[in-house]
Amino acid sequence: MNDIENELRKLRPTRPSNGLPIRIGMALADAGKLRDDVITPHRFRVNWVGLGLGVAAAAAFLIVARLDVHPPAATRHPVASNSTAPPRDRASEVSSYQAIGLTQVVYSKRNEGLLFPPGSATPVRRLRTTRHETMRWEDPHTGARLQVSYPAEEVTLIPVSGQ
Amino acid sequence: MVMENVATHEDWKVCFSELAPGLLLFARQWVCSAADAEDVVQEAFVRFWRRGLDLRNRALLYSAVRSAALDLIRRDGRRARRELEAGGEIEQATQPQFEQMDDAQRELAAALDRLPREQREVLVMKIWNELTFAEIGQTIGVSQNTAASRYRYGLGALKKMLEEARTTPARTIATL
Repeated sequence: MNDIENELRKLRPTRPSNGLPIRIGMALADAGKLRDDVITPHRFRVNWVGLGLGVAAAAAFLIVARLDVHPPAATRHPVASNSTAPPRDRASEVSSYQAIGLTQVVYSKRNEGLLFPPGSATPVRRLRTTRHETMRWEDPHTGARLQVSYPAEEVTLIPVSGQ
Repeated sequence: MVMENVATHEDWKVCFSELAPGLLLFARQWVCSAADAEDVVQEAFVRFWRRGLDLRNRALLYSAVRSAALDLIRRDGRRARRELEAGGEIEQATQPQFEQMDDAQRELAAALDRLPREQREVLVMKIWNELTFAEIGQTIGVSQNTAASRYRYGLGALKKMLEEARTTPARTIATL
């Protein structure tokens, strides 16, 4: 086999004609003119730093939201009887009920692609997260429990830097 | 903004001068004439550069050449029929693919042309373009082991053809 390989390697492929590099050069020059107008896939590389910051911000938001379940009594704001009030505030109106838990189940996280907001120099990636939240309260005196479930949706815009 | 892996004009000239003979030989696996092979290489190379792909990614570059060759064949219906009917046995003797061959080398080149295309393209990528079997597999969409097998079968078939030709001088393989 080695003999055949060596014999094959001695064969020299024909060189391209002199016109080929010239034609390619002209085509590349044309491509260069268009290059600034074309957004190539490489400009859409994921910016992991930005993505990490976005995830960290989202996590911080969730932690704050979770902590807010137990607001001090002094800081509780009176809630108007509004049908759009969050369930946690409405539940807190019920005497002696205390929040005991919040469960968030993310069942859909969709990358909706790049957007170009007006006036923005860089594109942003839109992530839509859909989840199901369940909040639970308990009356420590009677042991009665209250549970409310509802869907929630969050849209995150993550700046994507070009290369 | 300049992409990091986009070659400048001087860069592409250097890269192209190194790669061109192997790319042209690779393109000749699908098209008969040197002119068509140059068209294929030009289209693939420009397409590759426009997309800002890394020229060091040889598997992708050869895939681009393969794709451009198949596009050219599809565009030309008559050529497609002719090539498909001929399959791997197409006679490519109209224009030599190698430079300055003696009789033994002409015999070897003719035997190479008689190989099934799937073996010949692996030999071309391995011998004259020095791709690894992993890169070859990536280019033609087969496993590394399959690429290596085709290479071995191709070499074996070449050896057998040359031995037969030398033991039976009356049967010449080709007269390039």
